[in-house]
Amino acid sequence: MSQPAPLPFVASLLDAPLPASGIAWLDALRRAHLDAFAAAGLPDTRMEAWKYTALRALGQRRYANGDAQAAARAVDPAAFDLPGVDGPRLAFVNGVFRADLSALDDLPAGLVLQPLAQALRQDAEPLRFVLSRHEPEQGDAFVRLNAARAEDGVALKVAAGAKIAAPVHLVFLGAPAESDLAWHLRHVIELGEGAELALVEHHVGAEQQHLGTAVGDITLRDGAVLRQVLLQQAATGSSLIRRSRLQLGARAQATLHVLELGGALARHELRAELAGDGARLDTRGVFMPRGRQHIDTQLAIRHQALNTASESVWRGVADQRARGVFRGAILVAPGADGSDASLSNKNLLLSGQAEIDTKPELEIYADEVKAAHGATVGQLDERSLFYLRSRGIPHDEARALLTAAFCRAVLDDLPNAALREHLAGLLANQLPD
Amino acid sequence: MLNIENLHARVEGKEILKGLTLRVKPGEVHAIMGPNGAGKSTLGNVLSGRDGYEVTAGSVTFDGIDLLALEPEARAAAGVFLAFQYPVEIPGVNNTYFLRAALNAQRKARGEKELDSMQFLKLVREKLKVMQISDELLHRAVNEGFSGGEKKRNEIFQMALLEPKLAILDETDSGLDIDALKQVAQGVNALRSPQRSFLVITHYQRLLDYIEPDFVHVLAGGRIVESGDKALALKLEEHGYAWVKDHGEPAGASA
Amino acid sequence: MASTRNALRDNAGVAEALGRNYSAGFVTEIEMTGLPPGLDEETIRQLSAIKREPEWMTEWRLAAYRHWLTMPQPDWAKLKMDAIDYQAISYYAAPKQAPKSLDEVDPALLETYEKLGVPLHERAALAGVAVDAVFDSVSVGTTFRKQLAEAGVIFCSMSEAIREHPELVQKYLGSVVPPGDNFFAALNSAVFSDGSFVFIPRGVRCPMELSTYFRINAQNTGQFERTLIVAEEGAHVSYLEGCTAPKRDENQLHAAVVELVALERAQIKYSTVQNWYPGDENGVGGIYNLVTKRGDCRGDDSKISWTQVETGSAITWKYPSVVLRGDRSVGEFHSVALTHHYQQADTGTKMIHIGKDTKSKIVSKGISAGRSNNSYRGLVKVEKGAERARNYTQCDSLLIGKKCGAHTFPYMEVKNPSAIVEHEATTSKISDDQMFYCRSRGIGEEDAVSMIVDGFCKQVFRELPMEFAVEAKKLLEVSLEGAVG
Repeated sequence: MSQPAPLPFVASLLDAPLPASGIAWLDALRRAHLDAFAAAGLPDTRMEAWKYTALRALGQRRYANGDAQAAARAVDPAAFDLPGVDGPRLAFVNGVFRADLSALDDLPAGLVLQPLAQALRQDAEPLRFVLSRHEPEQGDAFVRLNAARAEDGVALKVAAGAKIAAPVHLVFLGAPAESDLAWHLRHVIELGEGAELALVEHHVGAEQQHLGTAVGDITLRDGAVLRQVLLQQAATGSSLIRRSRLQLGARAQATLHVLELGGALARHELRAELAGDGARLDTRGVFMPRGRQHIDTQLAIRHQALNTASESVWRGVADQRARGVFRGAILVAPGADGSDASLSNKNLLLSGQAEIDTKPELEIYADEVKAAHGATVGQLDERSLFYLRSRGIPHDEARALLTAAFCRAVLDDLPNAALREHLAGLLANQLPD
Repeated sequence: MLNIENLHARVEGKEILKGLTLRVKPGEVHAIMGPNGAGKSTLGNVLSGRDGYEVTAGSVTFDGIDLLALEPEARAAAGVFLAFQYPVEIPGVNNTYFLRAALNAQRKARGEKELDSMQFLKLVREKLKVMQISDELLHRAVNEGFSGGEKKRNEIFQMALLEPKLAILDETDSGLDIDALKQVAQGVNALRSPQRSFLVITHYQRLLDYIEPDFVHVLAGGRIVESGDKALALKLEEHGYAWVKDHGEPAGASA
Repeated sequence: MASTRNALRDNAGVAEALGRNYSAGFVTEIEMTGLPPGLDEETIRQLSAIKREPEWMTEWRLAAYRHWLTMPQPDWAKLKMDAIDYQAISYYAAPKQAPKSLDEVDPALLETYEKLGVPLHERAALAGVAVDAVFDSVSVGTTFRKQLAEAGVIFCSMSEAIREHPELVQKYLGSVVPPGDNFFAALNSAVFSDGSFVFIPRGVRCPMELSTYFRINAQNTGQFERTLIVAEEGAHVSYLEGCTAPKRDENQLHAAVVELVALERAQIKYSTVQNWYPGDENGVGGIYNLVTKRGDCRGDDSKISWTQVETGSAITWKYPSVVLRGDRSVGEFHSVALTHHYQQADTGTKMIHIGKDTKSKIVSKGISAGRSNNSYRGLVKVEKGAERARNYTQCDSLLIGKKCGAHTFPYMEVKNPSAIVEHEATTSKISDDQMFYCRSRGIGEEDAVSMIVDGFCKQVFRELPMEFAVEAKKLLEVSLEGAVG
């Protein structure tokens, strides 16, 4: 059989030369990943991990490699202004670091925050292990593409014991360009033993149809505490594909609040490993696709150590012709006794043209565990609706109120009040009038 | 009947009982009182053989046999009954079925003939009448969806049916309102006999208004620091457990 | 002290002691005839000829075979399974003496079924249950045929139905599970040897329970039975199947297809107690049970209910499903799956809501012991037009020991905003508190475990006809024999 012609998507991304870092292992790695990407092409819906996210349309599109003009793109800083978030900032426009939009002066003691490219130039060796790590699996196209083409990203390190109170703001802006382009960023974040960090990952952009990929590693050493907000407001024409790997050491704690609001095609693979005894992960998330948006969240949590806990609360609301996809997989490895895992995913379908596909999973290999999950797809509770109406609130208003409350539940335990109110407003805006 | 000599027991590596000695003769009702953490529930659990309770010294004989050497089910067959402080729910297992399985297992272990379902039902009806329990409880799963009071009454009902020689009531009064408490106490009193002994473990004196003890012991710091008749319970009520500490606890024995 | 012995927490003890007595593991010595191992178009023609099938049936089989050749064996269930050599299997094995009626059945065969607790003599037969007995590739007898015929019910072997009721078979065979549906269904369509055929005409409530008892006996054979049940408008039927096989060291293949058709207001209740040989404690031998079962609620207000108790087989791969096509139709799935030693079960259901006001309910209870893996895999799909569709799913897993796995993979795909779909799952082990409570009342460890497991499964056992409920309970007890201590 002759080799079929590569998809336009794949061909367009093979065109440009690979970046040359001058670091032998890194250049070799990029070449290997690009070859693997070229050989495998895009995953299709026969692959379990891509069952509900078809890439046929994407496969027919072409993208330019990166944005040579990124440094000159005019950007309104108001676009990424967030109440309650005024600490250090690292900003990227179309995948390119912008010092002028960043705030890196007077960083608090114990915090190292810089572009990855800069960190690599200073000393690449400490980054070698994490950048080389890759467990190949089916459907890894975007991770490979990212590994081949990402030149920059976030390098963040909190020294052991340092407590960074002001949230660090990571801004990823999409700006209109002469053609649709693809950008790739690679993040390496580490919290030392007992370190604490508040972090905001913020995707935002003016209308364009770019493709962004991001791969991040977040490592929490023993006893570290991370509070992270992930706000995804990418332009509704754009595609954004992310994989975040979170590793928690002994007694480490991470709390994530996730809002997935933007993108034509947005997929976030969020993988967490509770690798140290007593580690705890809380995830709270909401995805709200509307129009023709397709928003896909793939959450996978592995309990690998003793007495680890995870609690995941996710809400989905799909309106108009949109599709919301959620997978919430919990795995308890052999010997991970004392694990306590729970996951709940509730969804509202607001339109006859919309679709929700949800798949909670439990894979349990230890017996001293508590594991439960639940998922629902349905409507607002009729009794609550009636209750509000019987108190004089008109039907539509009552609906809007309950829908907003349904989504807002994921924000209840976010301590940053100013940010919480702002996010609640964003959720309300996303709802039908 | 029950001889506890110098009993020492550990839970999760921590010594809770530190040399407890107690003798109970047939037909006697002994109340064990004491502050929280004194080791009251540990005593009940050690006597009935719960896992995780390690006896490090001392002995317990029951009708002359070494009770500690027996598995929990063998202790039950020998006539020891523990009314749980927190009775366990067993979903899907019918209460009647459970009781019959328990009764027949005990009868079998004692070399007695097992009851068929007709004989068993007859017995159940008799006991229900005595205990004033509605037979609706019987058709439900063991303790599932029972209120706190129902669970405790179910424990006493089981006791009536299994007819133990020694009944240990582990804080049976906890969580009960006064009416439920009276009902439970009535059930217990109906079962008092010259052959049957009781260990009534409680934090409060009020249960003893309804179940009158022959002896009252104060357990503190893992051993019995004071014994007396029911007047002792009243004294405790008046002065609180702090009085015991000042009054009775040997120096250096505090937990 | 002795009582700190902690049998349930001591996983090694549980794993070692989880002995199983497979009482159906004997071999029947009887003279057999059959086809030599191997599979090609000629095999299929021969099989069809032996069974004196009409031309259309032969062609149907050949078309399925040709399609099968183009299909890959599915691997998504992540089962650890030795590659199956389809050329090493004999596709037809039957007792040499073909009985013309029950009176002529070989006494060795009758004895086999007696031993399995399924007497075929009508005078000794289970009261009120008509039985079709399938031995390897053929049906060896069907009881109570006369009484059933009087009610207008057709209950016979599939081979006979193809000859005697070709118009019904042609109309319904493959209409629920098309020959190319999946790899194993295609294989079955090509080589199926026998099975049961049930037809309940309009308005008839079947006067007794119908049951088929499947027995694999011969070595190196596969069993590929095909069952078709059609309930016409307003008809009701309850059908039971039971399965056993001798202990053998090699894996044997059982790839069945079951199709149910319920027309308007019809109700079909299908119960299975599956006790194929599970292999020994080291995972040697056992049946590969790869089965496609699907019901079609074709008419409005129809109902199809699957109940299964799965304790046997080295590998179980089956998803009894319901297509809820008719408005207000109802689908149910009640399942108990128990695995231990090295057994693997990947089982669940699909509920496809197409009609309006359709309802489905799924209750799955998985019990894992030893080094086994037990997965629930299910799909609830609500199509666009399925207004007010309603599903409730409950999956509970119970772990006994530390080396087994219990998994839950539910898929929910919803395209209608007035639908309500709910899924809940829990995983737990028998708690130490429950064990101690039972023991402190005098109940021994083994009895306590079997009592708690029985309680765990109660919701499903309630759905079984009385005789089967008793058998199912006994099966679980036997399976858990020596589970502790």
